[in-house]
Amino acid sequence: MQKIFNLACGSFYALGAYVGISAVQAYTSAGGPPWLFILPLAVAGLLVGGIGVVVERGLLRFVYDRDETFQLLMTFAIVLMMEDAIRLTWGTAPRSTAGLYLAYGQIGVLGATAPVYNLIVIAASLAIALAIGWLLTRTAFGRIIRATADNRDMAEALGVDMRRVYAKVFTLGTALGTLGGALVIPATAAMSEMGIELIVEAFAVVVIGGLG
Amino acid sequence: MTRLSPATPDPLRAQGPRDHDTSRRQFLKLLSAGAGAATATRLDAPFASAQATGPVKLGVLTIRAGVAAPVGAAGLRATEWWAERLNKGGGILGRQVQLVVEEESNPKDTVERYRKLVLQDKVEVVLGGISTGVTLALGPVAEDLGTPWLSWDGTTQKGVEETMPNPKWTFKSVDNEVEAIVAGILTPKYFKGIKTVAGIGNDYSYGHDCWESYQAVLKRYIPDVKFVLELFPKLGVTDFSSHIAAIQQSKADLLMCSFWSGDATIIMKQAAAVGLFKTMKGVFTTAGGVHDSLKKEFTPEGLLLGYNTMYFDDPKASPLLKQFVHEYKARYNEYPPYECDHAFFNAESYKVAVEKAAGAGKKWPDKAQVVKALEGLEIESLSGRRSWREDHVQMCNFYQGITTHKNAYDFVTISPIEIVSTKQAMKPAGSKLFDWINGWKV
Repeated sequence: MQKIFNLACGSFYALGAYVGISAVQAYTSAGGPPWLFILPLAVAGLLVGGIGVVVERGLLRFVYDRDETFQLLMTFAIVLMMEDAIRLTWGTAPRSTAGLYLAYGQIGVLGATAPVYNLIVIAASLAIALAIGWLLTRTAFGRIIRATADNRDMAEALGVDMRRVYAKVFTLGTALGTLGGALVIPATAAMSEMGIELIVEAFAVVVIGGLG
Repeated sequence: MTRLSPATPDPLRAQGPRDHDTSRRQFLKLLSAGAGAATATRLDAPFASAQATGPVKLGVLTIRAGVAAPVGAAGLRATEWWAERLNKGGGILGRQVQLVVEEESNPKDTVERYRKLVLQDKVEVVLGGISTGVTLALGPVAEDLGTPWLSWDGTTQKGVEETMPNPKWTFKSVDNEVEAIVAGILTPKYFKGIKTVAGIGNDYSYGHDCWESYQAVLKRYIPDVKFVLELFPKLGVTDFSSHIAAIQQSKADLLMCSFWSGDATIIMKQAAAVGLFKTMKGVFTTAGGVHDSLKKEFTPEGLLLGYNTMYFDDPKASPLLKQFVHEYKARYNEYPPYECDHAFFNAESYKVAVEKAAGAGKKWPDKAQVVKALEGLEIESLSGRRSWREDHVQMCNFYQGITTHKNAYDFVTISPIEIVSTKQAMKPAGSKLFDWINGWKV
């Protein structure tokens, strides 16, 4: 909708992963039951998405009407800054949530063993996809988003406050990235350069799906 | 990024902090004082070095970003620990040591920083160098600049072939493939009846060389062994579900994995999630940098695990190693990996070589004399005795063993501990790796 190619999406993903780990560690050391760890993980992942509004209002809004090169440079600068910020805060060594990955056990599916946590993440992504679908097609806000994506000037002429819509949509996107990072982390480990890894895949997504 | 020790005088700062009220006159005064101080330093420098008094500058190259940053941090921490102890005890021949730290990144930029260390900072020696991709390029530059360079972890090998068999100024780390050779020697001892083996490693020289060397060694002990699968994901991958599914399908008796960074932890976790090691034996050389992230919850007992050239939990550890591990844990809340010992050995062997070359007269030796003293030198390092082979390659011990949960940590350690010397597991100077392995009497 903003017609901006955001390289920093990978950084939000990494940030969500690290904040998720810290939240889970705080939760575990406070004596929370292991089987509920997904709650602090998801909540932390969603909350840190709030950084989206800061990035959008503080930086991105200055490059909307400029050449795409500016957008790429700006978002790449965010990638580099976030990587260093993560390194300063959490150090350089890979971080993980230890053995919580197996807190929900494993089940046998057609002769193969799969951790239940993986199934929970699959279910969560389906639920998120459905929720986004509902938001876009069934709510007034969704209609505004679609209208703006289709014709920004017309939407603005009809009284849509672009600044608010942009901030909301960008923050929503950021929160999805940080939540994704948080949910993936029990199955893997967080490394400061994990954001850059994701950018390559993000390119493929943009090529297939287009800038929306 | 250059970092001088805090004791380095800064000509402008020496005048006290500047504030916004500084008048033009004061500002000019400050400037001239700064310029004066700078000139004084410049005039002073060659004089001091000719007299061999004042602090001695040692260059340090270390990785600060990317997957190898933890390795770089460990090397630097050990070097700083060494320098602090040394300076408290009076330095080298009465001179305090001062570390000038530069970053190792890609070969081109690192070569530039190496030149800066030697030509501009005028260091007496350069310590460090981790990635062989970079140190391969540093070797010829070090030879050209005529200052000793002691590499922590990098070699001048292209694959498993030595490119600089007779260096003058370059001192290199152990060959990269040694941990795989040690694992190959120990596999038949601990895992009987292995007929099929699957392998996974990173898709670059190290991963491929380890796999090739491991296969060559294992074939010597188990001639009819079959290698049924080889996988080479790229460095930095964080999801191995599809690789693990392929490993399961191969139904191999044993998995050999040469991952050394966070991916070793990740594959262990994801393998545990599908119960891979319930049906399969496992060999993890790991190169020794991830040991405290291999938590008991997901790392089974009974795997062959490598700690590279230093084992922090060695019950036979020297008082020096015990003190180091204790202080490292207290300061960084981590247990030190092998890179600390590479770095400590480099720095300590330089000190011993300077003292040896100085002789009874205690006159600071020139660089060529230090190099001569380093050749064949054997000293006490953190992990025990270490030496420089005559062709400038580090000689030391490798620690591997079987994972156990019987310890006070939340991660696995090894018992029994196998200690294999590079005299047994590293190709001798001037030989070809595979000819040498195939010539073993097994």
